[in-house]
Amino acid sequence: MPPIIEISGLRKTYKRAFRQPHHALDGLDLEVAAGQVHGFLGPNGSGKTTTLRALLGLIRVDGGTMRIFGEAVPQLLPQVVSRIGAVVESPQFFKHFSGRLTLQLLAESAGLPRTRVDEVLEQVGLREAAKVSVRGYSLGMRQRLAVAQALLKQPRLLILDEPANGLDPAGIHHMRELLQWLAHSQGVTVVVSSHLLSEVQQLCDAMTIVSRGRRIVDGKVADILAGHSGTSLSVRFPDAASLPEAALALTAEEGVSAAIDRERLVVTGAPEAAWVTHTLADAGIYLSELTTETKNLESVFLELTGTAPTPGGTVQIGQSVVPPAAVPVGDPPVDVQVEGVER
Amino acid sequence: MNLFKAELRRIVRRRLSLIFGILVVAAVLVVSVVTFFSSSKGPTESALAEAQAQADAMNAEYHGEYAECMADEAFFEGPGWEWTAEEPGFEELTQQERCEWYVGSPGYTAEDFLWSYTFDLSEEGVVMLIGLAIVAGLVMMLLASSAIGAEWSSGGMSNLLVWHPNRLRVWGVKLAASCAVCAAVVIGVLALAFGLLFVAAAARGEVGTLDAAWWEETLQVLGRTVALTLGMTVLGASLAMLGRHTAIAGGVIAGYLIVGDMLVRVAGMALRMPFPDRLSLYTWVTAWVNGRIELYDWSASNFDGTADIMVIKATEAGLLLGAVVLGFALLATLVFRRRDVG
Repeated sequence: MPPIIEISGLRKTYKRAFRQPHHALDGLDLEVAAGQVHGFLGPNGSGKTTTLRALLGLIRVDGGTMRIFGEAVPQLLPQVVSRIGAVVESPQFFKHFSGRLTLQLLAESAGLPRTRVDEVLEQVGLREAAKVSVRGYSLGMRQRLAVAQALLKQPRLLILDEPANGLDPAGIHHMRELLQWLAHSQGVTVVVSSHLLSEVQQLCDAMTIVSRGRRIVDGKVADILAGHSGTSLSVRFPDAASLPEAALALTAEEGVSAAIDRERLVVTGAPEAAWVTHTLADAGIYLSELTTETKNLESVFLELTGTAPTPGGTVQIGQSVVPPAAVPVGDPPVDVQVEGVER
Repeated sequence: MNLFKAELRRIVRRRLSLIFGILVVAAVLVVSVVTFFSSSKGPTESALAEAQAQADAMNAEYHGEYAECMADEAFFEGPGWEWTAEEPGFEELTQQERCEWYVGSPGYTAEDFLWSYTFDLSEEGVVMLIGLAIVAGLVMMLLASSAIGAEWSSGGMSNLLVWHPNRLRVWGVKLAASCAVCAAVVIGVLALAFGLLFVAAAARGEVGTLDAAWWEETLQVLGRTVALTLGMTVLGASLAMLGRHTAIAGGVIAGYLIVGDMLVRVAGMALRMPFPDRLSLYTWVTAWVNGRIELYDWSASNFDGTADIMVIKATEAGLLLGAVVLGFALLATLVFRRRDVG
């Protein structure tokens, strides 16, 4: 099945008076397969929202191609827009309109039945607050309303920019279940841009991480995590005095390195865990604990984007890693691709 | 059509629409009520008698003074009348003519002492209707600019474009909806005002002759007025689309009406150009609504006391005003088509 979203070499430059132009998108590539929840991640200012805006025809781009459902956008966007539901950045509504009226106007403008309004209000948990004016809504309620308007059209592609923003824990849980149900039971393709990495890790099937307007990595979440976990092993011994000797035994193998970290040995480059136990046993050293260093998405993200905080320092906007110029995407997005980052 | 209906509903459901609607209806009611109470069909018996008494008293006073003048042959030879000796022609006047000249014409009537006003619908109604329609048009211009400006400032435009990416269609529908609301309101205001003024005229004034010729002329003038309000609405919406904020549109319009027009007139006079009034938009608006306007240039060296005259007809005024509105609307279209929506 062809990808639902295909973006290739997307460029967007903001020209600024008396200053260097800002390349918001610098040859970005993105592919989203059908029926999956796809996370779209990146540090602040990396071009996520710009990409989504470009996809939806809200901003003009300076280069590259975009396709949704196989149709070139923004040229043919009017032909596919009825299948797209989207929330871009913080949701904004007329404050004096009620939630129901806000949705009714949108539904009416697209010729959707009014009954659909009540359905989505129920779906996002705003049934009781439907008559209240948006002015009285909390951030989370506005977020729910925004998602409701995206769901109105019963879209086949749902694009949500920070959908969990402002939601309470129950709301986040509900949103996660809703999006997964849409993707896995209804076949809706969901693209989620978010900074809540733990949420993305739970919610998404695949993801793309961008930095400075370029793709760094994309693929299945599990594969990306696996690709950046297990490369290091933590080894502990009954006697800390064994550490230097163990390090020596392990580093005898080419490509393997071992560093003493307090009372443990951090081994990288080992072919597999069993090789460590075998090598140490051969050297007459017996370990007490051997664990694979499991990284969560946050640590992988920080590593890939180069935005891990340093003691006493603050990572500034735009200081993320600079990926090399984009290369044509050859493999389907479910395969892990890492560009510019050593695996 | 769905988008048009939704847009109409959105404008109508806005709180500002309700406030403006109340204000416009209130203005019509105030004008009608003031007209009703200030007009009367004629004086009462007692007022007439009182006025007649005043007229009689004045006439009696006149006759006394006149008789005194006629009786005294040397009346105009005393102190203060020396200048008459040098006045050519004074010598040739008879004493009667001199006295009539000095005392004034006799014959005060009760009418001179009655302060009553009778509203005549056929004579004054059209001007009042034009005024009310233009006020309603100004309100609609603000409403249209607010509808567009608020959508930009609230982020609603971004939402709408996600649903309807064809920007030309969105802009066209917004203009059409604003114009439809404007036309409905202005025509409604005219109908309401005419009805109330007719009642006021019938009850306490004069309806006058509302024959076919009156209707033809009135409908032409009011038709042009409605067209003017539609142009104002398009202008307001276009300015808001360009500025992406209601205040910018309101500021530009108010700035021109208050300061800009005055500056243009001053510049015209400073440049000593003939007919400086033609630089004012008000001149062209007046020509459009009234059908024509005559401008006088007294600076021309006509020693016979006549002025050069420039006539602006409704067609010319319509072309200029239409070009201004169309220019702004096209500019707004081009900008909106290419603009990044943030």
